[in-house]
Amino acid sequence: MRLVGRLLLRWEALLVVLIFAAGVWSTTLSPFFLHRANLLDLTTPYAYLGIMAFGLTFVVVAGEIDISVASTMTVSAVSFAQLWHAGVNVWLASLVGLLIAAGLGLVNGVLIAILNLPSLAVTLGTLAAYRGLAYVILGGNARSGFPTSFTNIGGGYIHNELPYALLVLIGTAIVLGVVLHSTRFGRYLYTIGANREASRFSGVPDTRVRVSIFVLSGLTAGVAGIVYLGYFGSVQADAASGSELITVVTAVVLGGVDIFGGAGTMVGVFLALILVAELRNGMQLANVGGAAQDIVVGGLLLGAILAGNVVRAAQERGLPWWRARRPQKEVEKTESHAQISVNPGSETTQGGFTR
Amino acid sequence: MTAGMLTGRMRVSTDTIFRLRELGIFAALMFCLLFFGVKANNFLTVTNWQDIGTDVAIVAAVAVGETMVVLTRNIDLSVGSIIGLTAYISSNTLQHHHHASLVVIALLAMGVGLLCGLGNGILVALGRIPAIIATLATLAIYRGILFEITNGQNVLASNLPQNFLNLSSRNFAGIPSLAWMAIVVAAFGAALLRWVPWARDFYAIGSNPDAARFTGIPVARRLVAAFMLSGLLAGLGGFMFAARFAGVDATSANGYEFLIVTAVVIGGVNVFGGSGTVLGAMLGAVLVATINDGFTLMRFSQFWQEFFQGAAIVVAVTVDAIMFRKLQDVLRRRRRPELANVGGRR
Repeated sequence: MRLVGRLLLRWEALLVVLIFAAGVWSTTLSPFFLHRANLLDLTTPYAYLGIMAFGLTFVVVAGEIDISVASTMTVSAVSFAQLWHAGVNVWLASLVGLLIAAGLGLVNGVLIAILNLPSLAVTLGTLAAYRGLAYVILGGNARSGFPTSFTNIGGGYIHNELPYALLVLIGTAIVLGVVLHSTRFGRYLYTIGANREASRFSGVPDTRVRVSIFVLSGLTAGVAGIVYLGYFGSVQADAASGSELITVVTAVVLGGVDIFGGAGTMVGVFLALILVAELRNGMQLANVGGAAQDIVVGGLLLGAILAGNVVRAAQERGLPWWRARRPQKEVEKTESHAQISVNPGSETTQGGFTR
Repeated sequence: MTAGMLTGRMRVSTDTIFRLRELGIFAALMFCLLFFGVKANNFLTVTNWQDIGTDVAIVAAVAVGETMVVLTRNIDLSVGSIIGLTAYISSNTLQHHHHASLVVIALLAMGVGLLCGLGNGILVALGRIPAIIATLATLAIYRGILFEITNGQNVLASNLPQNFLNLSSRNFAGIPSLAWMAIVVAAFGAALLRWVPWARDFYAIGSNPDAARFTGIPVARRLVAAFMLSGLLAGLGGFMFAARFAGVDATSANGYEFLIVTAVVIGGVNVFGGSGTVLGAMLGAVLVATINDGFTLMRFSQFWQEFFQGAAIVVAVTVDAIMFRKLQDVLRRRRRPELANVGGRR
């Protein structure tokens, strides 16, 4: 029973509730929402954003941020398109695209982890620099007409119903989820995110791990680029230069990943992506324009962090009305216990020892 | 670590390092002048410099506000959207009220900018959302609001009153009027940061937020003030943008935030907070504008310009970080020689 209660109190449970609520809302807007084809196709337009969000999750859990992912994706996609246009085999070209994306991630990682620069400032710079790079590679051109066997990855369907993109999305989520939650590397990220100094002193190779997460983030941006090419069938240097980045960050933060590092699950991010996709789909059904959708997504991002901050503050100090009453009650029992509950930040370790 | 504890020699050494940073920008600027002066046709002409002056004015005015925010160890990415929003509001109002006083329009734009900045400040200071995330979200939100209110319409220059259009083409004492506005704003900002106690607090907050809180500085209120100043000046920038480009639509000033952040960061305002001057940011803005202008005159690909701008942010941040560590090391060694290398590798 307590286990059920704990599960229900989790952030992911709230997301599931919200997904159902948004589903009910969408059903009232259009009777076609609940059709199997529509439900399966829901995440297809956002699959590339989801894949980037999964990579970004690693970075944010470790207490860093990578806002250059969208630009990295574009450089990778643009290089692929240019190579393919020059006659390189399509699979070889996509491999090179992936390597380039990983390389751009490596540049971020080296600057941040080895030179010890703030990830915000570095990725803000590379966000602009990589975008420039995409323009340098492709100029003002557009490339399209890729072979169907390749574009199927992002835009194809099995039996005209099950999108390949959904399989890629779920596959990436499972693989990265396993890496994050059941490998030593994944555990390191949580300790680094919670307290980098402490994790270094306990022997975590933090520099190497932090370089790897940025390489990983770049690599997933490369995979996202392949899915992007498949879904849209063409690419320009200004691809994903609008609200894509903020959608990715929103999926990560709305998924319950602590923006200050140290907490978050892959399941949460996956659910958040479904919620964002559902909301965007619903707003389209309701004829809400793209600009208003961006406002909603931006508001969701802010709301998710604010909600997280309120929950954290409540866990640490108790809710305001709660805090006012509780100490007096507990003073009657034992003095020290009241102290612990009032100020866990400084007292929990002591309390732990006495117990 | 109060100033009184440091000996005279130490203060000279730290001051010198900060001076060197600005001198470095100045040297880079001189180098560019020389290089483009020799290589590019028409670079060293009065009209070209008046053009640069008008271009740099918008970036410079907004960069003053951005400097305040970056000094507190935060960042305001929403300025591009605020410029676009206020540019549309001011030109759209003028379109319908031809005889409105330009001062009133400028105040309107600054008021809207102030409100946008207030929103940012509340999210960052009271909501405790990291500034980069909060302003990334408001970047999208303010731009979304702009799209909603324009409804696909744009303001045409032909519908605007002549006195507004003249604003950007008129010169006083050989300097474009928009550049005069930027100069006034910069002087105002520099005076604020030099002499006004609550603005001095920005430095204290940026160098050590916790220490600032313990010394009794109302940190949250100061942060809101910094963001409001940034919004206010972005609003003024929007007014100037409308005067400069006359035609305004929903995508106006898209990406301006990068020009502004580049100017501030290149100008030696430390992204770790706590150090930097308005003068540096102005030099940074002029340097960025000069390089862009020179490249354009040399018919250098516009695409490379974007790459260099981003790369410049990274280089400036790297240089600052290395300098910052050297500086800390110097201070530590002077104070406690035996601690010189503790935490040196971080």
